Amino acid sequence: MSTFIQILNQLFEMQTKMQQNQQDDKLERNFNRLFKLCEEQGFTMHNPLGEKYAESRTDCDANIVGKLSNTMVVSQVIKPIIYQNNNGEKRIAQKGIVMIESK
Amino acid sequence: MKNVNFGIDLGTTNSLIAKYENGEVTVFKNPIGFKETLPSVVAYRPDRILVGDKAREYISKDAINVFSSFKRKMGTDERYYVVNLDENVTPIELSTLVLNELKNFIQTQEKLEACVITIPASFDTMQSNATLKAGEAAGLQPVYLLQEPIAASLAYFNHKNTPTNASGYWMVYDFGGGTFDAALVKVSAEDMKIVDNEGNNFLGGVDFDFLIVEKIIVPIIIEKTGVDNFEEELRQKHGQYEKLYYHLLYLAEEAKKELSNNAITEIEFSTTINEQLHDFIIPISKTQLDELFLPKVNETIQFMKRLLSNNQLQASDIQQIVLVGGSTYLPIVRHQIVEQLGIPINTTIDPTTAIAVGAAYYAANKFYEPKVIVPHEADALINQVFNNETNVALDLDIQLSYNNSSKDAEELLMMTCTGNYSDYKYRITRSDGGFDTGLVPLKNKKSEFLTLLPNTANQFLLKIFNAEQQEVTSLAQELHIMQGKFSIDGQPLPNDICIEIDDTENHTTKLEVIFERNSLLPQKRTLYRELSKSIKKGSDETIIISILEGDRNARPSSNLTIGCIEIKGKQLDFDVIKGSDIEIQLTMSESRILRTEVFLVMTKQEFKNVFSVSEKIVSIARLKEQAGILESELRYNLSEFQYRDEKVWEIQIEQLLGEVKEAREQLSKLKEKDNSDSKYIIAEKLWRISQEADKIGGNDRITELIERYMEYKEYVQQLINGVHFDKDKIQDKLNRVIKNESTFLHSKNASVIENGIKQMDDVCLQALSNTIPYLIERMIEYQGMEDGEFSNVRTARSLLQNADKALQNEKYLEFRQNIFAISNLILRFNKQSLHTDFKGTGIG
Repeated sequence: MSTFIQILNQLFEMQTKMQQNQQDDKLERNFNRLFKLCEEQGFTMHNPLGEKYAESRTDCDANIVGKLSNTMVVSQVIKPIIYQNNNGEKRIAQKGIVMIESK
Repeated sequence: MKNVNFGIDLGTTNSLIAKYENGEVTVFKNPIGFKETLPSVVAYRPDRILVGDKAREYISKDAINVFSSFKRKMGTDERYYVVNLDENVTPIELSTLVLNELKNFIQTQEKLEACVITIPASFDTMQSNATLKAGEAAGLQPVYLLQEPIAASLAYFNHKNTPTNASGYWMVYDFGGGTFDAALVKVSAEDMKIVDNEGNNFLGGVDFDFLIVEKIIVPIIIEKTGVDNFEEELRQKHGQYEKLYYHLLYLAEEAKKELSNNAITEIEFSTTINEQLHDFIIPISKTQLDELFLPKVNETIQFMKRLLSNNQLQASDIQQIVLVGGSTYLPIVRHQIVEQLGIPINTTIDPTTAIAVGAAYYAANKFYEPKVIVPHEADALINQVFNNETNVALDLDIQLSYNNSSKDAEELLMMTCTGNYSDYKYRITRSDGGFDTGLVPLKNKKSEFLTLLPNTANQFLLKIFNAEQQEVTSLAQELHIMQGKFSIDGQPLPNDICIEIDDTENHTTKLEVIFERNSLLPQKRTLYRELSKSIKKGSDETIIISILEGDRNARPSSNLTIGCIEIKGKQLDFDVIKGSDIEIQLTMSESRILRTEVFLVMTKQEFKNVFSVSEKIVSIARLKEQAGILESELRYNLSEFQYRDEKVWEIQIEQLLGEVKEAREQLSKLKEKDNSDSKYIIAEKLWRISQEADKIGGNDRITELIERYMEYKEYVQQLINGVHFDKDKIQDKLNRVIKNESTFLHSKNASVIENGIKQMDDVCLQALSNTIPYLIERMIEYQGMEDGEFSNVRTARSLLQNADKALQNEKYLEFRQNIFAISNLILRFNKQSLHTDFKGTGIG
């Protein structure tokens, strides 16, 4: 696994913990700079929390919680989606690991 | 006749596809998610068929429509009733879907026609024939079958570190995600044969994850929360802790992987139990896991022991045990096999891909008669570039209706089909791998919601498949949908916006993209770079921040300069040294106003500028250097045309060369503080010359350049096989060029393709310079050179003696170092002597 993917996963975890404790504002600029540095190396992160989930969505590996329905949403993100930009071409470098639930 | 070359591991849990080429095997990756493994799972959703990872998501929630482990039922009369289809499907049909999905992994131009498919050692004739049928139904002809333990043994046998006299008995220990198989293989110089095999279809790596949750995590949760029936609650279907259960299984798997390399790790999570938030940090040691896993590992070892006793063999009769399957990464597995059986293990091959790799090696020695004569790769590509492909006449027409720009997160696609569409299916994928409809039957009217990536041009590919699941290539269509915020003055960028930076190695400049073509405005980006030269306070030396619009792959002079800042030594508070940091923040507004903020970290100075695209700013110093670079590039083109005897092109390029010379003369008379329009006129002229130079020869030149690149690529690929030093590094470099080739080969721009050829040239030179016969030739050449051709004769002669001595003593690395050192002393190779006046932008 690329070092930048591992770094982004750690940043995501740190950001999530800070948000849980409502302290994320304090480190926002530092997080932005770190995300930017990763972006410079072609890696960007996306947190799909709250987004609609359909079976055509292949950017995440989902665990379905509760019963299936037509209105599933991402209710928890274990790992974020990470894209790699290679010569202008954006590709998924890491699928998100998510929980999905009926809205 | 053609070599089959393709091998497929059609596994119970996961499947893979690999190809043998030039002595190496490549395992293909799924274009959706980029994993090498495809879960052998098929889901029949209400209106579509999903295969692989997506299908697996529905295993527990829609079990009546999702099928896995059907390999175990191959060759039986078992039928699976699909509720969503209201019909039965056979294990052969399900396997065919998996094989067709694997075909999509091949993203090169080649078509999979024939292949080797692996089968378990325990498969009888009926099961083998069923696998053959599945292969044929997937359009593969012929299909060769190969037993999995043989495939694994072949992978190890062909590995470069395997001794050539490796004949005798081998054992194959195949411990995957859900199954365990053991086989005894007799290996001789002529062939490999399975003597016996054993196995358990319900023993695999997932059992270990369950154990971690059940035996380590749950007791700690109960102890901390006091909820006695927590385990029962956790396992309850649709229960309150279902989400936590999946989370814990994931964390358990991660911890298991972590402890394959470390002695201790921690499982960390927060969860609400009985309306109270609890934070857990659970340390787990490798020793704990070893104790936990030992009974399961012992079960597998019992199978191995039984194999030995059933065949009256001692451990000493077995040369080695080859490991297959992801669970063999676990240190306890490796340790216990060696300790309990006393047989050495071979771990030189990736156990996850070993079977597919072995199948590909086997396929390299199998042949078939191709159905269609495949055109030369270069011809196929040229046809594609110029859209000369002929469409097959079909009684099927598909009209698409959609908005090519959208503000929404998804866009509706309407499809109208006419003609005979009843047996056809479609599939739509997004180029980044984040969207896939699966296989959906075509209907007269059909709609699909396409999920869009924000603020970018989304590229989708629609493919049509016939009743045999073969792609009808003539019906494929590309769809482009721009997602983002639109306003009257905001729009997607029509060209790349780049910054010109120094290519100090080649004494020229190159472009680095800042905002990509089709990005939606506004855009903002900060570049963190280093200075490529030192600048003294008060001097006339400059740092030039030159922003250009055009094609990132083209030469800088073919792009339009839209903003330029010169930071002079006179403006500096202190000296800045080479290697110090420079931060350049660029912002482009919706109305295309470009703002730059440059921060020199060493002097803590900030320089702000605002440019309007209608107002050009041109640096005379930079212009002079660009004109020089353009002239040398045109001279290179002239010599190429002369060599190829293209008289008309020669005349045209000579005319442009005359114009460049004229521009250079005019530039030489211009003073730095010139306030007239001259510099703009000259800049415009150079830009036009650069563009016109690329148009010379039209499509004939483009075709010739593509052919040249493809031939060159083939040559370099072969060359790399014979490289003696740094082979992996050079192969990586070649792979990077090949990865980018579609960008420059489809550009229809001569200088862009030439740039690609130059990149290949670099790889070629690096490969040659690391090949002993080539280095020997160079030594002979240098030995015959005159003294005047070296910058330092004494050192050169001494190095030549050292090289000769190293060669005689077979110290090849030392020999290479001496040859490299001599080449630095040869005057005609010294690029710097040709461009001593190169100043560049100052940005590295």
